[in-house]
Amino acid sequence: MKILVLLRQVPDLVEDLEVDDSGKALDVSEIKFKLNEYDEHALEEAILLKERGEADEVVALTQEGEGSEKVLYTALAKGATLAKSIAISGEASDSAQFAKLMAEAAKAEGGDMIMVGVQSVDDRDGQLAPIVAASLDMPCISAVTGVKVSGNTASIFKEYSGGIMAEFEADLPAVIGIQAAEQPPRYAPVSKIKQIQDSAEIGSLSASSSNGASSIEVLALAPPPKGEGAKMLDSGKDLLDVLKDLGVA
Amino acid sequence: MLTSYEQIAFILLIIVCGAIAFQRFNELIAIVRKGQPAAHNTEFIIRLIKALVDVGAQKTIAKSRPVSSTFHALIFFGFSFYVIVNVNDILEAYVHGWTTVASTNPIAQTFNILSDLFSMAVLSGVVFFLIRRFVFKPKAFEFNPNVKLEPGVAAGGIKRDSLIVGVFILVHVGSRWLGTVFHLAEKQHFDPFMPTASVVAPLFYNSAGLEVGIHVAWWLAMGLIVMFLPYFPKSKHIHLMIAPLNLAFKRDNAFGELEKPANKSKPGAKELNDLPLNRVLNAYACIMCNRCQEVCPAHESGAPLSPGALEINKRYYINRNAKALAGENGTADALLDYAISEDGVWACTTCFACANICPVGNEPIMDLIDMRRNQVFDAQMPAELADALRGLDEQGNSLGESARKRSGWTKPLDFKVKDATKDEVKYLWFVGDYASYNQNCLDNTRKFAEILNEAGIDFGIMGKKEKSAGNDVRRAGEEGLFEVLAESNIEAMNECNFEEVITTDPHTFNTIKNEYPALGGEFKVNHYSTFLLDMINSGKINLKKKLDIRATYHDPCYLGRYNGIYKAPRELMEKCGVDVVEMPRNKSNSFCCGAGGGRIWIPDHEDVKKRPSENRMEEASTLGVEYFAVACPKDMTMFSDAIKTVGLEGKMQTVDIVDLVWQAMGLDSKNGQEASSEKSAEAEKSTNNQADLNKINVSLN
Ligand code: SF4
Ligand code: SF4
Repeated sequence: MKILVLLRQVPDLVEDLEVDDSGKALDVSEIKFKLNEYDEHALEEAILLKERGEADEVVALTQEGEGSEKVLYTALAKGATLAKSIAISGEASDSAQFAKLMAEAAKAEGGDMIMVGVQSVDDRDGQLAPIVAASLDMPCISAVTGVKVSGNTASIFKEYSGGIMAEFEADLPAVIGIQAAEQPPRYAPVSKIKQIQDSAEIGSLSASSSNGASSIEVLALAPPPKGEGAKMLDSGKDLLDVLKDLGVA
Repeated sequence: MLTSYEQIAFILLIIVCGAIAFQRFNELIAIVRKGQPAAHNTEFIIRLIKALVDVGAQKTIAKSRPVSSTFHALIFFGFSFYVIVNVNDILEAYVHGWTTVASTNPIAQTFNILSDLFSMAVLSGVVFFLIRRFVFKPKAFEFNPNVKLEPGVAAGGIKRDSLIVGVFILVHVGSRWLGTVFHLAEKQHFDPFMPTASVVAPLFYNSAGLEVGIHVAWWLAMGLIVMFLPYFPKSKHIHLMIAPLNLAFKRDNAFGELEKPANKSKPGAKELNDLPLNRVLNAYACIMCNRCQEVCPAHESGAPLSPGALEINKRYYINRNAKALAGENGTADALLDYAISEDGVWACTTCFACANICPVGNEPIMDLIDMRRNQVFDAQMPAELADALRGLDEQGNSLGESARKRSGWTKPLDFKVKDATKDEVKYLWFVGDYASYNQNCLDNTRKFAEILNEAGIDFGIMGKKEKSAGNDVRRAGEEGLFEVLAESNIEAMNECNFEEVITTDPHTFNTIKNEYPALGGEFKVNHYSTFLLDMINSGKINLKKKLDIRATYHDPCYLGRYNGIYKAPRELMEKCGVDVVEMPRNKSNSFCCGAGGGRIWIPDHEDVKKRPSENRMEEASTLGVEYFAVACPKDMTMFSDAIKTVGLEGKMQTVDIVDLVWQAMGLDSKNGQEASSEKSAEAEKSTNNQADLNKINVSLN
C-alpha cells in the first residue's frame, strides 16, 4: 500500500498580506510561506497508517521552489518514506490547473491512495482533491477525519455538521481530502531534520500538462474596506445610555 | 585480645563478606562506566581535593535544614574518626597487650577522649535521625501520590534502608563504646580521658562475665561492620564514599550552560546509560533526604515530579538489576519505565533549586532535560509545546506573532529607537520575546526605552532580525532549534556595530552569557538590573524622587540561582526609595514562578492544586507590602495572573523594577505631558472596560 501526500506551501497569515501593484495578486516578495495546515494533517494521517502497518510507503510530494526542500525534509523527519519535488513547467494560473498538474505528477509516481489537505488558505473551496480524483478517474472523499485500510479497501470517516459521523468504504485507489488527522500533527525536531538532510535524497518528478489559459480571470484583489471603528465606553452605565438611545432598553 | 579461634573466624568473615562486597562494587563500577563521558574543564585531582574540602567543611549540606545538618556533622566527624578507632580495635584484637584503656601515653589519651566524645556525637546524631524519620515522620519524606515509584521504593525500601543503616550505626558505635565501659569496669578504673564511659563503668564493677561482655561488644562493633559490607554498596550508607566522588565528577562549567547532547544522532537519554556517568553515580550519592523535593515548585504544586524520587528510583532499579546492567547486553528498560513518568518530565520548570540544594551535588534537573531531549527527538511532547516550537521555528518567537512586528512596541514612543542593524550603537538591546510581544510587558519595555532615552544612552535594537534567544527552547529539549535560533542571533549580532548587550530578560541573559560563546557568540551582556545600577552610580541616570513605598522582591531563577545576581536589583530598589521586605524564601532559595524551561507554553498538569506563582503570591501576601517587584518579563505575566487568581487584586500589585526607576526619575510626570507608556496604559484601560462590557453583556443576556 503506497500513499502519496500532496503538500502545498501557502502564505503565512501571521504576517499582513499585501496586494501587489497590479492590484490583482498578492505581493509575493513580501509573503512568508509555510506548509498548509491541512496538508500537515494529511501527512500525519498517512504516517499514522504506516505506523499502524496499514500502509507500507508514504511518499511526500510538493511543488519545487523556495522552501520546498525544507517541507520535504520535514516530511521525511516525521516518517515519510520518500520525498519528491515536482518541477512544474509554466505556471498554474488557477487552482484547477494546479490540481491537474498535481494529478499528472501523482500519476507518474503511482500510488494506492492520494491524500491532500481538504483546503488551504488559497483554495478555500477545496478543489484539489476532487479535481485530482476527476483527472485520475478515482473516487474522492473530502473533509475526512479518519482512515482505516485493509487490503484494497479503505474505511473512511467523516464528520458532518451537527455532530453526525459517517463511515464510507472506498475501493482503492482513491483520493482523500483530510480535514483533521486522528491526532495533532507531530512536531519534527530540527536536529532530526538536519540529520535527514545529511543522509536522505530528495527525488524529482515533473509536470507540464498545458491546459491553455485559465478561463477564470482575477479582476481585483484588495483588503476589505475598514469598518467605522468601535466606540469605547467607560462603564456599564454608558452602555445602558447607548442602549436607551437606541430604544432597546 | 581475641582468642585464636575468634581471630581466624574474623579473618574468614572478612574474606567471605569482602568478596561479596567486592563483586557488588565491581558491578557498580561497571554500570557507572557504561554512562556517557562527563564534560569537565579542570583536572580530576583538583576537583577531588575541592570536593573533599567541601565535604570536610560540611559546606554542601549546611545550605538548608540547620538542625539536621548539625546532627549530620556530629555523625560525619564521629564516623571519620571511627576509621582510626576501628584500626585500633583490630590491633587490640590481634596484638598481644595492645590497649589504650587507662593508658598514660598522651597520644593514647588524646585518642581516648576523642573516641569517647565522638561516640556520643554519633549516637546522639543517629538517635536524632531515627526519631525524626520514624516518630515525627516529616512531610518532606512523602512523595505526592502521583509520583512514579520503582517497585522497591513503593514497597517502603527507603524506610527499611534508613532503619537498617540507623540501627547498624547505633549497634556498631554503641557496642564499641560499651566495650570501653567493660574494659574500665574490669580494671575498676576511672579514666578522665574516657569521661562518658568512666561515668557508666561503676555500674559494672564486680559484674560477672565482663570478659565475655568485652568479646561480645567487640564482635558487635567490628564483626558487624564486616557483615555490613555486602549490604553497604546497596544501602544509603554508601553515600559517605560516593558523595565526595560525586562532587568531584560533577560538571564544572557554569550552572547556566547545558552540556551538549553526548550523542548527536540519538540525543538525550532514553536509558540509564545514555546519561553521563556522573549522573548515573548521582543515584548512589543520593541520601534520600528529599531536600530537593522540598524546594521543587513542581512537586509543591502537586505535579507528578519529585527530583528525589528520580534519583532514588534509579538507585533501586540498579540495585534490582545490577547483574544484567553490568553485563554485556544491559537491560532494555527506559528511564520512563521506572525513574519518572512522562508527565513528570514535562513538569520541571528548570528552576535549578534541586541541584542548588542537594548536599551531595546531584543534578536531577539535568536528567530531566536529557529525557526531554530524547522525547522531543521522538516527537513525544505536549501538543502545546509542539505549537510553541513550531512558532519559534517559523517566526522566531513563541507567541505565534509576526516576526516583522517584533519592534511594534516602539510605535507609541515619542522618539525613534535606533535600528542597530543599520546604525552603530553603544548598547545593543536584546529585547526578547515576552518583552516584545506580551501585553503585560509592553509598558515596561517602553519604560526601559524611555529611561535609556532620557539618560542619553546610545542604544538600538535589531527588530525583526532578533529571534527568541532560545534559552527555554534548549531547556524544553529542542537542541536543534536552539542552535538554529542562537546561530541566527549570533550572525545578526555580529553584523551589528555595538559594544555591549543589554537585556531585561534573565532567560535571554543566561543563554547569551553562558551558552552563546560555545556557538561562537562572545558578547558582554548585562542584565538591566546591574546595568541601571551602574548608570545610576556613574551619574548617567538621575533619580529625582524617592518613591517611599514598601515592596518585596522576587529573585528570578535565571538571574539569581543561575547567575548569582542578588544584590543589584535590591540596591536599585533601595536607591529608588523602596523599602525592600524579604520573603521567607529569597535569594538562592527563591521559589520559582513556574514559567521556566518551556513550562510557560505547557498547561498545568491536572493534579496541580496550587500553581507555583500562586504559592509565591501567598507567601508575599503575609508581608504586608503593596508591591511585588520583579525583574523578568515572564514574571510580570505570571504574577499579574496569580494576583488575580489568589484574590489579591487591589491589595497587591506586580511592578517591574524598571517601572520603579522610571518613576524615581520622574518620567511619569515628564514635562507635564503624558509619557507614552501611560498612553498605552490608557489604551489598556479601555480594553479592561471592554472586558467589563462583556461581563455586562452576559448579565443582560
Ligand atoms: S529544576 Fe526545579 S522544577 Fe525541576 S526538578 Fe529541580 S526543583 Fe523541580
Ligand atoms: S537528590 Fe540530593 S537532595 Fe535530593 S534526595 Fe537525593 S541527596 Fe537529597
